[in-house]
Amino acid sequence: MLNPISQTLKSPLRKKQASLALLFLSPWIIGFIVFGIYPMVMSFYYSLCRYDVLRIPQFIGWLNYQELIFDDPYFWQSIWNTLYFTAFRTPLSIIGSLLLAVLVNSALRGMRIFRTIYFVPSIVTGVALSVLWMWMLNPQYGLVNNALAFFGIPGPLWLQSPDWSKPAMVLMNLWSIGGGRMLVFLAALQSIPNSLYESVDIDGGGWWHKFYYITIPMLSPVIFLWTILDVIFSLQVFTEAYVMTKGGPLNSTLFYNLYLYFKAFDDYSMGYASAMAWILLIITLLITLIQFRLGKRWVHYN
Amino acid sequence: MKNNRKTFVRAIITYAALVACAVVLILPFLWVLSTSVKGDQQIFTIPPQFIPEKIHWENYIEVFKRMPFLTYFLNSSFITIITIIGVVLSSSLVAYAFACLHWPGRDGVFVLVLATMMLPMQVTMIPIFVFFKELGWLNTFKPLTIPAFFGGGAFNIFVLRQFFLTVPQSLLDAARIDGCSEFRIYWNIVLPLAKPALATVAILTFLFSWNDFLGPLIYLSDQIKGTLALGLAIFTGQHQTEWGLLMAASVMMMAPIIIIFFFFQRYFIQAFMASGIKG
Amino acid sequence: MLKNLLKKAAFSFLTIVTFWFLFGYSPSKKIPDDGKKHIQLWIITGQKEEIPYSVRMFNTVQDSIVIDLTAIPWQEHEKKILTAILSGNPPDLVSQFIPVAQWAARLALTPIDDFIQTDQFDTTVFFPALWQEMKWKGQTFALPWKTASYAFFYNNGLFKEAGLDPSKPPKTWSDVIEYSKKLVRRDEQGRLEQMGFIADYGVLPGHGDMPTSILIAWQLGAQFLSADGSKVSITNAATVKGLEWVVNFNRSYDTKELSAFISGFGYAEQHAFLSNKVAMMCLQNTFIEHINLYRPNMDYTVCPIPSFEGSTTVSSSGSWWLGIPRGARHSKSAWEFMKFAVGEKTQIEESLEMEEPLFPANHLAANDPAFIKDEKTRVFVKQMELSHSPAVVPLTHGVFWREYTMARERAVRGLQTPLEALEQAEKQVQLELDKAVRYDNYVRREIRFESRSNNFSN
Repeated sequence: MLNPISQTLKSPLRKKQASLALLFLSPWIIGFIVFGIYPMVMSFYYSLCRYDVLRIPQFIGWLNYQELIFDDPYFWQSIWNTLYFTAFRTPLSIIGSLLLAVLVNSALRGMRIFRTIYFVPSIVTGVALSVLWMWMLNPQYGLVNNALAFFGIPGPLWLQSPDWSKPAMVLMNLWSIGGGRMLVFLAALQSIPNSLYESVDIDGGGWWHKFYYITIPMLSPVIFLWTILDVIFSLQVFTEAYVMTKGGPLNSTLFYNLYLYFKAFDDYSMGYASAMAWILLIITLLITLIQFRLGKRWVHYN
Repeated sequence: MKNNRKTFVRAIITYAALVACAVVLILPFLWVLSTSVKGDQQIFTIPPQFIPEKIHWENYIEVFKRMPFLTYFLNSSFITIITIIGVVLSSSLVAYAFACLHWPGRDGVFVLVLATMMLPMQVTMIPIFVFFKELGWLNTFKPLTIPAFFGGGAFNIFVLRQFFLTVPQSLLDAARIDGCSEFRIYWNIVLPLAKPALATVAILTFLFSWNDFLGPLIYLSDQIKGTLALGLAIFTGQHQTEWGLLMAASVMMMAPIIIIFFFFQRYFIQAFMASGIKG
Repeated sequence: MLKNLLKKAAFSFLTIVTFWFLFGYSPSKKIPDDGKKHIQLWIITGQKEEIPYSVRMFNTVQDSIVIDLTAIPWQEHEKKILTAILSGNPPDLVSQFIPVAQWAARLALTPIDDFIQTDQFDTTVFFPALWQEMKWKGQTFALPWKTASYAFFYNNGLFKEAGLDPSKPPKTWSDVIEYSKKLVRRDEQGRLEQMGFIADYGVLPGHGDMPTSILIAWQLGAQFLSADGSKVSITNAATVKGLEWVVNFNRSYDTKELSAFISGFGYAEQHAFLSNKVAMMCLQNTFIEHINLYRPNMDYTVCPIPSFEGSTTVSSSGSWWLGIPRGARHSKSAWEFMKFAVGEKTQIEESLEMEEPLFPANHLAANDPAFIKDEKTRVFVKQMELSHSPAVVPLTHGVFWREYTMARERAVRGLQTPLEALEQAEKQVQLELDKAVRYDNYVRREIRFESRSNNFSN
């Protein structure tokens, strides 16, 4: 890992780096304390209180956490819904973006247009997007079921069925595979030296060998990055459920962050919602740390 | 001879796959486009029409009448541009410190950085709002722009850090031996190499800031300070939504992003750098 | 050498300019210095952005107060008002429709009892259900401004096709069942094509109408909250019966075919009532706007909501109210506008001019012949006299409706009996109510303690 040059640059340089690092980081440290640490500390304090934002908080210790874990059926249901969603969306999105990136990486003409076309769906956001999908997923006359019918498959009730509502959400999310994720994969693909691919050709390997032995390992830092990011974001899924289903039917799309929102801004139980937020943080942190551990085994840096 | 045929077949297959994906993915956007020129009665007809019988170009003009588009456009542009500058500068500096410099506790602090992404904004928005109120920054652009200069957000730091980690340490050390200051290494070596990553961060920041609704909503009180995202909300009512106008306004909001993306794509392509060290 | 210096100078200059813009720049609006009091009113944008008649008139009929109107978007309006109050610099007047108690209990509004006393304001001019909603713990916090109500809509064309007489509306729920049987149509494959009545059509967000099961519960005298506000009751006989009626009605259809049929409902002209899919529904008067927009020539009748033998019809009316946020600077001037806006004459003129089909909260205005232009309006106004406010458990409004909706869903899908479903709902709502009441008591104690200790320090 450490090459001969680095070996000679040990102690004094590292010390210098440390103080320089501080310099580089100083504005950020201020920002981090203000925008990162301070709200976290406040929200933790609120999680130990009853608080409705407009009135003074009432300190109640761990009661919120207790009520969440032992008395709240929706807490567990929303965790399940969220984990289910994440477990499907993250792998599918990563693989989708990867395949798309490989596609648009070809040397053929017109890639600029294709890249733009793939990127565009990821910028349609918010209410417009969700309503559009509600319409497309309509069981009777929506595009999706009509397309399925073309192939002879009877489409399910999607957003109106407790069993198909989460798959519908995952499906909808897949439309953004051409977005930022794909761009990052593309950039990483571009930086793989051709010489590596040529060596596979010389050894008589096919495209599969190239993909498995060169592309994936070289891309592993970036895949690793996006898996972690994607998990963090998937665990916070909110807008789609808020606009399209409000958690239904039968709470099948009651995601954790949606339930948190109801508690924070419908019921104004900000303390309770803060407790929920902290539990989510811990869960996310655990999952991320596990990923870091596993990452040491398959991620290749230079 | 055989190679040419193989290449030709591969090209056909590739194009076919590209087109198939393109058709599927672009469908929602086409619907947005087509709805933007429909009258209210034509939007939810069965079967759905992609090309409306009567094209209501006046939807676009109506949007201008209903909201101060130019003002909102200028405000959004100002906020977004400043935010992009701030984010690119500060998050790259921070990412450099996390990726290319070594100091005790580095990785532990990085986990802390990640942790800030894991707390849903619903619970952090109130403390942050109160903080800005104490500073007297309410009803100005400051809460929307200044935080970008103080780190630029954990997400951007993470993305850039991963990229910077792929720069060979030996390269940096060689520069250090040559007497380069850290800042020059950052500015002249690492940054240019990371152009694709920086471009990605810039585009994503653009998207986030341009479409940000909640921030401008709670921090800006005067209508003259409004942004495009706020303007869009005019078309969504309690019981009814004016779809045609909403889509027309959305198209106009998305247009700059698409145009910029189309022309700045070359930053995502990077010729392999011949460093000499890797050999 | 010089070139380098110039470059550095240019760079520094640019940096300084950028930072100046950053920290200094914001476009701003000047309040004209005309010696008048300017007060801020926030209303939530209606369909079209228009300055309400009352605001225009008020600014013209007197010249000591000027109303500066800001229309805030519907999306996330609560957050905007919340943060405005939090900032200590809220608008002087706010128009909202979630239950007054939710804001009042959190000390977000200024009580107006003193104003009412001083001006001897006559509070009997409002519909009783709306006026009740304005109070919290013995104080008044707002004046009702506009409202809407529910009635029974039915499709004349489909009636005629089924051999029913459109001039004979169903008067009881048994009539509804009878008529329904005649109005069911199926296509060649046996799938449902048309239904007589649908009880709870609130699946799509934004189309959440008042459930028929609750309307029935009210008709049978359901009381959801005890008089002292501490016990919630969802398993009372009336509510259970309401839900049972709906569940039994749906039982006459196969669950699967019903789901499939309902899934085809949509927006705009795809609304079930507009597309001839359902012949009878309980809908709000605002729905008429919908009809005029998407199917203006529809032949339909509006009649009072059916009831059971021996009980009267009922309706649901929420209110848009005007209130003064805590910390507003010009509360007296705000009060002047409030009085003006709910005046009988103003309300009539405003309703006639505005395109939103909301009713005046002032029942003298609503009953005035100038306002009641047609039979349909008359029916709605009559229904408002007999209506209930949806704010049945004000402190835990959101929880109550979420739990009830979930219970209704479980019962309708056959996962639980109505009683079981409502028991679960009651348990959850009671839990939340207990928490809310305890917190409320805590805050009251603290405030009293603080004011007492302040007195001591004086």
